Amino acid sequence: MPGFLKEYYKRNGTMMGSVMLGLVLFWTVGLIILPQLSMLDFSFRPNLPPPEIGGPKDIYTLENYKYLIFGPEGGGQDYNAVDLAVFYRTLVAAIFVTLFNLLLCYPIAYYLGQNKGNHIRIFALMLIIPYWINEILRAFALRIIFGETGVLNTLLVGTGIFDTPFDFIRNDIALYAGLGYAYILLMIFPIYNVIESLDHNQIEAARDLGAPWWRIHWRVVIPYAKPGISSGCTMVFMLSAGALAAPQILGGPSSLWFTQLIYQQFNDNSDWPQGAAYAIVLLVTCILLVLAVMRLFKVNMGDIGK
Amino acid sequence: MSAGVGVDLENLWIRFGDFVAVRDANVNIKGGDFFSFLGPSGCGKTTILRAVSGFLEPSEGNVLIGGNNMKGIGPNKRPTALIFQNLALFPLMKVWENITFSMEIAGASARDRRKRADELLDMIALSGQGDKLPSELSGGQRQRVAIARALCAEPDVLLLDEPLSALDLKLRQHMRTELREIQKRVGITFIYITHDQGEALTMSDDIAVMRAGVIDQIGDGKAIYNDPATAFAASFVGENNVFRGKVSKLSGNEALISTNRSGDLLARISTANHGKLKVGDDAMMFIRPEALSLATSGSTGDNFVTAKVTHEEFEGNTFNIFTEGDGGKEIKVSIPNLGQSFDDHTGQPITLEYEASNAVVVPAGELANE
Amino acid sequence: MMTSDKIIRVSIWVYLAIFFAYLLGPLLIMSLTAFNSPGFPRATPWECLTFDWFSALFQDERILNGIKNSVLVGIGTIILSVSMGLAGALMLTQIWPKLRATYYTIIIAPILIPGVVIGISTLVFWDRVNRMLGLGADSFLSNGLFLTIIGQSTFIASYCMLVLVARLQRYDMTLTEAALDLGATHAQAFRKVLFPFMMPAIASASVLAFLASFENYNTTTFTFGEYPTLTIELAQKVRYGITPAISALAFMIVILTVFAALFNEANIKRKEMVAEARKDATVGELAGKIEVPGILSRNTPAMLLILLLVVTVSVIGSSFVYSPNQCIADVHEQKRIETELRIQQLRDQRAKDAAEKAAKEGAAPVQKQTAPKAGNNSGFGGVFAPSTLDNSDN
Repeated sequence: MPGFLKEYYKRNGTMMGSVMLGLVLFWTVGLIILPQLSMLDFSFRPNLPPPEIGGPKDIYTLENYKYLIFGPEGGGQDYNAVDLAVFYRTLVAAIFVTLFNLLLCYPIAYYLGQNKGNHIRIFALMLIIPYWINEILRAFALRIIFGETGVLNTLLVGTGIFDTPFDFIRNDIALYAGLGYAYILLMIFPIYNVIESLDHNQIEAARDLGAPWWRIHWRVVIPYAKPGISSGCTMVFMLSAGALAAPQILGGPSSLWFTQLIYQQFNDNSDWPQGAAYAIVLLVTCILLVLAVMRLFKVNMGDIGK
Repeated sequence: MSAGVGVDLENLWIRFGDFVAVRDANVNIKGGDFFSFLGPSGCGKTTILRAVSGFLEPSEGNVLIGGNNMKGIGPNKRPTALIFQNLALFPLMKVWENITFSMEIAGASARDRRKRADELLDMIALSGQGDKLPSELSGGQRQRVAIARALCAEPDVLLLDEPLSALDLKLRQHMRTELREIQKRVGITFIYITHDQGEALTMSDDIAVMRAGVIDQIGDGKAIYNDPATAFAASFVGENNVFRGKVSKLSGNEALISTNRSGDLLARISTANHGKLKVGDDAMMFIRPEALSLATSGSTGDNFVTAKVTHEEFEGNTFNIFTEGDGGKEIKVSIPNLGQSFDDHTGQPITLEYEASNAVVVPAGELANE
Repeated sequence: MMTSDKIIRVSIWVYLAIFFAYLLGPLLIMSLTAFNSPGFPRATPWECLTFDWFSALFQDERILNGIKNSVLVGIGTIILSVSMGLAGALMLTQIWPKLRATYYTIIIAPILIPGVVIGISTLVFWDRVNRMLGLGADSFLSNGLFLTIIGQSTFIASYCMLVLVARLQRYDMTLTEAALDLGATHAQAFRKVLFPFMMPAIASASVLAFLASFENYNTTTFTFGEYPTLTIELAQKVRYGITPAISALAFMIVILTVFAALFNEANIKRKEMVAEARKDATVGELAGKIEVPGILSRNTPAMLLILLLVVTVSVIGSSFVYSPNQCIADVHEQKRIETELRIQQLRDQRAKDAAEKAAKEGAAPVQKQTAPKAGNNSGFGGVFAPSTLDNSDN
């Protein structure tokens, strides 16, 4: 037995040590690493009926990735314009949702982090309660509001602002509102956690030195809160780019989300390798984007989740 | 109570990678003794304690408790109980549950445990506090609970890892006496780790002085203080004035040292070094501040040092005179305050006198805190 | 200076108000729709107070089955992800420092991987394992419950790990050593010392795990197989036609959540008060049982909790007595009258037009109804044109 393993068992005992090691290995290898590798492998294979799997036709191919870029063979188009447009739109919209959330949540996180008292506890409760409620139901609630005969339209038409009901769903407004709504908490908490540990005296000192409020934030609070901000932005971006429920419920009939394409490949077309390839493309693109932005703002991976 | 169980360390080596934490330690601790390991932080004394309690397996050598080799025996199977530096009281258990944790493990009934807890609480003068949580006790009370918890396990050997270091000075001094009394009452072997020489000297039957993984000297308090084996032991335990030089003459167990800056001085060779020093060897001579006294001016000889007073201090029980010997050599003198009048000597040259038997010569070596 | 301070303060409160309106408004409106009688969930126009959607909900087999599956998946996920999260957190504290950053990245990554990707990879991987072991399509490894629990635990364990590691960082490892030193085995030291210390974090991790599992859609939608969870059923319903029964379910979840939150708050408050009382208590008081008098009088959350409980019980009680039939009949009747009126008007109009036309040329007039798009209030059998509803609003 190598030295470090011996040391490990001495520290944790044979039984406890084995249980712990077993659980960690099952999680990291069995649930995280192998499934991802397996999906990667799968995405390079043709879509075959089960009997042919492992047969002579089961070879590695780039077909599934080519499909995303060039569309079906002999499809008459140079590029798979539809899917690529959806992919592009998903990423841009996710970035937009992230920025919207950051702007919306930063003041709240700052306020909650720098104030003490009972009302802060109540606010925190009010923040959390919506997130104990099902994601689908949250989207459903927004659909009631944004629907054609929903509260908002009734109000707008009733007060005479609009003559006819406005189609919030077809115009994707409901979708963006829903995505923003879905991840508010994930943006607020990391920022709140960091700002809470910021010594209020620093702000007082800056104010004392005559800095206007926007400069205090720009020079003192935001640099300090950077790990929280990047952590929140990363989570919101990844989750909104990977969202499925909100686009299915709040998205218009014509505007697809990239995850919906993946869903269709899996459930409607039964083309698993194709779906896996799309999933890989989404995952890799998102990770690269996040890493690039993190490098740009000089933030570490270790800050995520703090 | 029995005479207690002894602990022996045989050729003990403990390595962490390339770093040697303990180098060839050989210690024989008699049963029922209060034994201290004294040394600066990082000298390996805690490592030795962890090897005795079983948290560490020695790289080489053996730990014997009551003559039994402890190799491969886990901490939960050894007849030792450890009192941690931070006490490690279980924060969620009440005081009485803390104290009788070892009985809970052994499967004793709640009634027996309660009864035993009450006995031990009486012993540590915390009667009726069993239902409190550790966080509701004061520092000294927590200390006593930790001792009671360790004693409840009825160990043959109690190991204490600087348990007093977190207490304030007053409480620390009080706890010294208390610990010593408890040890005498229960009669088991105590192994005590400390960097505080005061604690070691007041409580211990025997002391091992440690430096960088090596045991320099083992002996009782008086021997360590009066008859240090090494330069390190002489400089670490108590205050000492050091004079560097070479042995110029040997007569019996006395040596004349030609010091670098204070002329020739006569001193006794420490017992551990009898027969080891030769003429011409580098040596160090130590004189305690309280062994020096003011001589009548004009006296000369090989037990006189001349110096100039730089400043003086009144410490209550002593007057401290800080002087500068020839060549900038710093010498401290402590004169007991017996109510005598005391003139200010600042700036004046003075002559200091000592008894040769109160000065000790050891081979030149590393000093503490240099 | 004073005025600018005031402006800032006012704008902060306005901002907070807008923010919480955005956050809570949708839930409030959705809850209201559960009590309105139209067959399409809407808060306006208000027609009749009804509790029928709740009984409709309790008669929906698929919803009930979904709840059952959700609970099964939730329990499985709690067990698996909390134990993996705890093992992962413990490992993090003692892993070889050079490996720590890599290890942390691996166990934190599932939080960032889109749920869709986790669902797919779980499905693909276990399908392959299943095939490699030569098992059939109905084996345990391709079972919907198993796959859903495994898939959800992949990332929920990361959440649990984060919660647990925060508590573990405050754990003093010498406590375990002390227990071992006092004769405990490693398992005993874990059970009697570390586990009780971790208990609050384990409880919050369990709640978090259950909630995350309960509401998960993205991963589950690929793995559920024969066991659709509540979320899956809800998504099906919401996508293909919605009824206020869903609002009723949402309302109940909201109320349960508020209950849980208040209960939790009351409990925290109670503990604080007990701790305070203990601190002040003398030895004699501690020896006896501690009683904090009037524990409710100073505990606002507890009072609110009781108030809410009373209101809920009385509302449920009255719902058995209350019948909206009269009201619905009234609305029915009113609409009938309105419709008749409208028809009458149209007839008159037509007659007038006809008379005019006849007077001019004699051709039949083309009737043009200003009916807007299809309303879904099938609850009234589609007898009434939606336009009449709009009229009743005016």
